[in-house]
Amino acid sequence: MIRKLLRVTMMLGLLAVVGGLGRTDVLRADQDDRDGKRPPQTLPSGFESTDKLLRDVDRAERAPLHSAWIVESSRFLNVPHRAFQPDVGDPAFVDLPVNVGIIKGPDGKLTLYDSGWKQLAYIFNWNTSCCWYGIRNQLHAIGLNPDDVVRIVLGHGHWDHAGQLSEFPDAVLYIQKEELKQIDFFLNYPVDFNGGHIRAVNTINPLTGAQVGPPQQACARSPVCGYPPQTVQEILGKVLHGKAKIVDGRHEIASGLVIHPAFRGHTYGSQLLQVNTGRGQLVFGSDTYSSWTGIRDWFVANIQQTDTIQQFLAYEKCYVLTSRQNSFNNCISAHEPTSYTAAYPITSNWWNIPGGNCSRAAELVLAPGETTHVPAHPDRTPPSQCVSVVPPHPITP
Amino acid sequence: MSEARVGPRRWMTPKMQILAVIFLSLVGILTFAVSREVTSTSRPVSTQLSPRPLRAALSTAEEAYMGLLWPIHGDVERSAMRMSLGQILYKTGDLSRSELKTRMEQALATYRVAETRILALEPPTSLRSEHEQYLAAVRLFQESAVEAIKMFKDGREEHLLAAYPKSQEGSDKIMRVGGRFWPNEFPPN
Repeated sequence: MIRKLLRVTMMLGLLAVVGGLGRTDVLRADQDDRDGKRPPQTLPSGFESTDKLLRDVDRAERAPLHSAWIVESSRFLNVPHRAFQPDVGDPAFVDLPVNVGIIKGPDGKLTLYDSGWKQLAYIFNWNTSCCWYGIRNQLHAIGLNPDDVVRIVLGHGHWDHAGQLSEFPDAVLYIQKEELKQIDFFLNYPVDFNGGHIRAVNTINPLTGAQVGPPQQACARSPVCGYPPQTVQEILGKVLHGKAKIVDGRHEIASGLVIHPAFRGHTYGSQLLQVNTGRGQLVFGSDTYSSWTGIRDWFVANIQQTDTIQQFLAYEKCYVLTSRQNSFNNCISAHEPTSYTAAYPITSNWWNIPGGNCSRAAELVLAPGETTHVPAHPDRTPPSQCVSVVPPHPITP
Repeated sequence: MSEARVGPRRWMTPKMQILAVIFLSLVGILTFAVSREVTSTSRPVSTQLSPRPLRAALSTAEEAYMGLLWPIHGDVERSAMRMSLGQILYKTGDLSRSELKTRMEQALATYRVAETRILALEPPTSLRSEHEQYLAAVRLFQESAVEAIKMFKDGREEHLLAAYPKSQEGSDKIMRVGGRFWPNEFPPN
């Protein structure tokens, strides 16, 4: 009898152990954020579970369809490939477009995702960029009315993506609070043991204590680099004029138009834009999605303030949001070198913008009733045969 | 006639045939190598840029002046950004009124010191115009800060709006001068 009791007790104990193991907390991002089950170092406002993302797909699929295009604000030329994608080195040098998304809603109003370049002097002085053309002119040239732009969603605040805000005084700006807070934090970061390489608007020589200028400052990867005062001023202008929404994490702008956080996917406050279209959900990613082939092949790209795992988690968000249709083909990249070619299929319906200084446009998808904006006889002169001019700017050599 | 027919046959000895094959193979390899080199994708074809004048070499005096202005520029930039971000974060409720006041007073002090330091510089004639522009920018930042600080005296936030155009103009100016002096300040991101 005692033996029997012992046996039963042992069995029950074993069952309890096995049951307990089954309930062991595992860090998974596919459940709601109860009890802090987030990937490590993910901010609460930056976390979205797979379930939540799929619910956003459900909701968006019942929303109106949008049309979408991209235009090339400018192009970086001959960038060392490994500086852009450390795991990919062939070819050794690449040209990187700076793509801006244009989304047309059912009411005919336009939303821009990023706003391109403003600092023309840098195009001139770097002598490594081409093809800049003002965004208002680009919109006109592809048959859209710039006065219809009612929103600008900044994927992040770097100068090559957040310029030209003042060209749209009535448009409402959407930017993550996290993006602004991190710049503010690092502006005053102590320089005692890092020579200013973390703070970096400009830096200090650690041996002499003297501040040194570029190129020694190597500001490219530091947290404050990439945000000139002019860019931040334009954001302030929007705030003071009541034309800014400083969002904190996920935010539904309109039906079928949802912002998703991608914190540290490129910068601290990077954000994605989900758009409901006839070819499924498009996900615009700015520099978090710097390279579309990077998303496809799971390679990091354009590492600035990037936590590489956060960039992968942001890639995963695109895979989740596009899982019902077209998968990663619907992830829209800002700097994909194969943009405007068949190698990046969604951008293959491209053309040179008429009078657009070699900048290009691509029609991604049309909503029912929207007629194509691709000219009847599109100019598809290859980049190698297109001569770009330096636009007028106030700095003389 | 027959001589002409016999001639090639004489050349077509086994030895000559082997030599011909080797020769043709070498030509083939050479052709392939040349064509591969020409069409190599290691450096993708780029858009042509129209020719543009290169930046003239700097004189010693110009370099010295830019070197002295650089640390001042850093202080001005940081202060301008801290003022802008301070106002944004105040509006979003992330910065208190007193914190914003402190920040603005610090910025004003930095601008005043920057003005004094710039006035102490002796720009070469070739950079006189940029020197004046930069000085004007710093004064605009000062005026903007003075205007914004009024908010803490009468409580009216309209002062921030009134102060804004001056700080925006100041930012545009230092961006222009900075673009000429330190073209690599903001690399591609």
